[in-house]
Amino acid sequence: MQTFHSSQSVRPFKMRKSFATRLEEVAGIRAKFPTKVPVIVERYHREKYLPLLDKTKFLVPQELTMTQFITIIRSRMALNATQAFYLLVSNKSLASMSLTMAEVYRDYKDEDGFVYMTYASQEMFGCLLPSTGGKLADHLLTT
Amino acid sequence: MHSVSPAAAQYGSPEERGAPRAGGTQGGCAEGGEPDEVDRLKGRLLSAWNNVKYGWTVKTKTHFSKHSPVYLFGRDYRLDTEEAVERFQTDFASRLWLTYRRDFPPLGSGLWSTDCGWGCMLRSAQMLLAQGLLLHVLGRDWTWPDAPFSASLAEMEPGKLAASEQGWRLWPSAAVPSLSPRQQEEEQQHRTLVSWFADHPQAPFGIHRLVELGRGSGKKAGDWYGPSIAAHILRRAVESSPGTSHLAIYVSQDCTVYKGDVAGLLRGGAAGAVIVLVPMRLGGETLNPVYVNCVKELLKLKACLGIIGGRPRHSLYFVGFQDDYLLYLDPHYCQPSVDTSQECFPLESYHCGSPRKMAFAKMDPSCTIGFYTQAGQDLDTLCAQLAQVLKAASTKDKYPMFSVVDGRAQDYGLEELCSRLAPLPALRPGRRSKGKKPEADDFVFL
Repeated sequence: MQTFHSSQSVRPFKMRKSFATRLEEVAGIRAKFPTKVPVIVERYHREKYLPLLDKTKFLVPQELTMTQFITIIRSRMALNATQAFYLLVSNKSLASMSLTMAEVYRDYKDEDGFVYMTYASQEMFGCLLPSTGGKLADHLLTT
Repeated sequence: MHSVSPAAAQYGSPEERGAPRAGGTQGGCAEGGEPDEVDRLKGRLLSAWNNVKYGWTVKTKTHFSKHSPVYLFGRDYRLDTEEAVERFQTDFASRLWLTYRRDFPPLGSGLWSTDCGWGCMLRSAQMLLAQGLLLHVLGRDWTWPDAPFSASLAEMEPGKLAASEQGWRLWPSAAVPSLSPRQQEEEQQHRTLVSWFADHPQAPFGIHRLVELGRGSGKKAGDWYGPSIAAHILRRAVESSPGTSHLAIYVSQDCTVYKGDVAGLLRGGAAGAVIVLVPMRLGGETLNPVYVNCVKELLKLKACLGIIGGRPRHSLYFVGFQDDYLLYLDPHYCQPSVDTSQECFPLESYHCGSPRKMAFAKMDPSCTIGFYTQAGQDLDTLCAQLAQVLKAASTKDKYPMFSVVDGRAQDYGLEELCSRLAPLPALRPGRRSKGKKPEADDFVFL
């Protein structure tokens, strides 16, 4: 897929649209598609490795399992199997195979009617090399 | 510097460590000559500097409660008697400790002859694999007869130890233990195992090999690594040296362990056991406290190989816990590399005598947890235990840390789902830029 802009940062959906607009959107789409669930999928604001999705709003069949949903999102980003990818809802990782979108929606839907998910990979570990290193070494040598 | 860092104090500078020890089972091994005064001073300064640079804090008095149990790789110790403290210390100090090293043969392109400052996650990963291998080769009951030993946990302040013997156990000269044939064999296995982690291109699980295998994940020497990438690197390292360990590694994807796939690894090939690794993300910015109990319960399991993770940017290997503190081994201590091809290479720098603790609240949410399982009943038991722990911990909200499910990944038809659903284009994308649009236009229909 060529549509990713990995360096681009986008204001969160909630900040782009007013509560009233979001409420209205959900009411409209739920009336038309009562068996589908409106989901917002956004990149974790500190994410450095995963690409930005080209779309934010998804309308998902309510019987879809979480794992199926994650698989779909993964493949939209063209991630390989070993790339770390986690979908977080309410600071929790969605890891249950059998949970359906209907259940997640029931448990975590926002007051505007959307359910908000954040995707992230993993943090990396290593210690920053202090720029003052040389000076400290000198200090050590002179004391 | 007003104070010497504890690591330097406790373990001594490299030169000091090389000095002949009184007695001990390593007694037969020849040591180098006495270094001169300037070298000694230089070594001390370097050692102190590296410890400042690579994260050991100056303060540390690790205090262990006598009243609540300490869990270490599935065993619990109540530290209310000296005997229990000693058993705990011996157990802890028998684990393999892999740290930053310097002055090893250059990596890949030749720029790096040390991993100080960037290799901590790989070191933590090595420690987890090493613990799996210890279990596999020597069993959980094995302890190192020369394990570094400090007198009392209540006096874990390293400075006090340094004054005497840098914390190493000294046998009274009359009581130098002689090793039984079985112990000698174990000691040989212990050495062989350590040599697999040597900082040398030929070592199957050494830093050179791991960095090489990380290239598949787009990493190179000098980069920072994450716990998931580290898990896959370990898997590849074990896969690519099948004659070495008779182990296989399974790395779960999307927090789901497929029992059938683990069983498949146990059946196929020469693998007598499998290490199951589960990379996770237990929250966004910080660890979600809802997971703490579950992490504790998992660390209590006998099959658990601990967790590679850390606090933000600073990798640690979590090996157990007491109350609300994780017990860890810290790779952030820069030691000179050891030539393990020598017959009696020194083992001391591969073991750590001082357990340390860190509050769960400081734990970085990115981590990988490991489990060891053998074929047959062992796998059934592990899966049942995991299911129970994960379920109990998530009864309130049904959202477990990870899942264990029957069957194989391919049985769930996810690949087919991808090929069927993924190419779906967004609904009428051409109209997105129009000023006024119907609300549904922005939705992607799945």
